[in-house]
Amino acid sequence: MSMHTHSDDQMACPSCDHLYDMSGLEQGQQARCGTCNHLLATYREHAYAHVVAFSISALIFFVLACCFPFMSFKSSGMESVMTLPQAITQIKGEGMWDLAILVACFILIIPALVMALTAALGISLLAGWRNHWAKDVAKLIFHLQVWSMVEVFFIGVLVSLFKIADMATVGVGIAFWSYAAFAIFFTLALSNLDTFQTWKNLEELEP
Amino acid sequence: MSRVTAASKGLASCHLCQKVASVELDKCPRCGTALHSRKSNSLNRTLALLCTATILYIPANIWPIMITDQFGSSIESTILGGVVLLIQMDSIPVAVIIFIASVMVPVGKLLSLFYLCWTLKSGSSVSPRQRTIAYRITELIGKWSMIDVFVVSILVALVHIGKILVIRPGIASITFAALVIVTMIASKGFDPRLFWDKEAENHE
Ligand SMILES: [Zn+2]
Repeated sequence: MSMHTHSDDQMACPSCDHLYDMSGLEQGQQARCGTCNHLLATYREHAYAHVVAFSISALIFFVLACCFPFMSFKSSGMESVMTLPQAITQIKGEGMWDLAILVACFILIIPALVMALTAALGISLLAGWRNHWAKDVAKLIFHLQVWSMVEVFFIGVLVSLFKIADMATVGVGIAFWSYAAFAIFFTLALSNLDTFQTWKNLEELEP
Repeated sequence: MSRVTAASKGLASCHLCQKVASVELDKCPRCGTALHSRKSNSLNRTLALLCTATILYIPANIWPIMITDQFGSSIESTILGGVVLLIQMDSIPVAVIIFIASVMVPVGKLLSLFYLCWTLKSGSSVSPRQRTIAYRITELIGKWSMIDVFVVSILVALVHIGKILVIRPGIASITFAALVIVTMIASKGFDPRLFWDKEAENHE
């Protein structure tokens, strides 16, 4: 037994640096740090099949969320209907292009990119391909996912619904429900993509 | 008795892919990211970013976050003004959500990170375990302060009925978004392993 193969199962807790041997962790199990209670890894059964299924579902709902009316607002006999891309252009139209770019990145561009990359990585890992791009894709996913604010935006939408409910008649469209589904599948896809397991498998599949 | 840590074995864990490798390597052998035993210069970086966030907090609260043009007159509202208005309109649940997300979370996060940095400089009787948990909560709740910025964005996009009723974004919306981003970077750069290092040092 060489030192090298042994070190592949080592993990240091990101919060307290405690060193663990992860070779005993099996499918369907979770590992927590005994010193600081940090969640170290979650090995879900059929993880990559779930990653692929959830991320592709998320992408389909994302397209629906962009194409259909998101919310409508009726007051004084006039109605305004908006889609999510229109929301961004409306903010830009008010002279706040910087806010428009930030909101677009946090709620549309980064989440969609993360899901597209996750689908690609999931397919590659599920099929066991030896390729040169999977590692770069994984790096991008783990860098970008912090900046996705899908769930925060959805709570913001609910708050704004309550806020203007007295002002006028507010309606929600297909895109609203699609975005909700997108948020759920987004979370499910990423919760099946365990950092430790993903990188371990990527290393085993090195070309 | 001391714990077995990666550092005590001359190892470092990659902050991106979690590979454990010799601390003498410059780059992670698996993903190529720069390899450090601890996040580099994390205490000073976090403190600098926290000071920036504290400064941003002032204009974010003084300047209007939202402007409502109704029947020819325009009303500017600040974050706190918006909360007061919601209470007056009896929308208590919405007022509570906005108050938690826009006032309690950012202020709590700043205070908590300042306190955690301070314990690294001067020592603390609070156990490293409790401070690590406090840090992780701080990191987790950070992005939820963006709620108010998203609420303003939705209202701006939705509410424009000719010239009768128009909602426009105020300058504080971008200042507040910047504040949230800066505090997120500050908490990402902080290294909770320093609590444990300090503790081990004191026991020697
Ligand atoms: Zn730990």
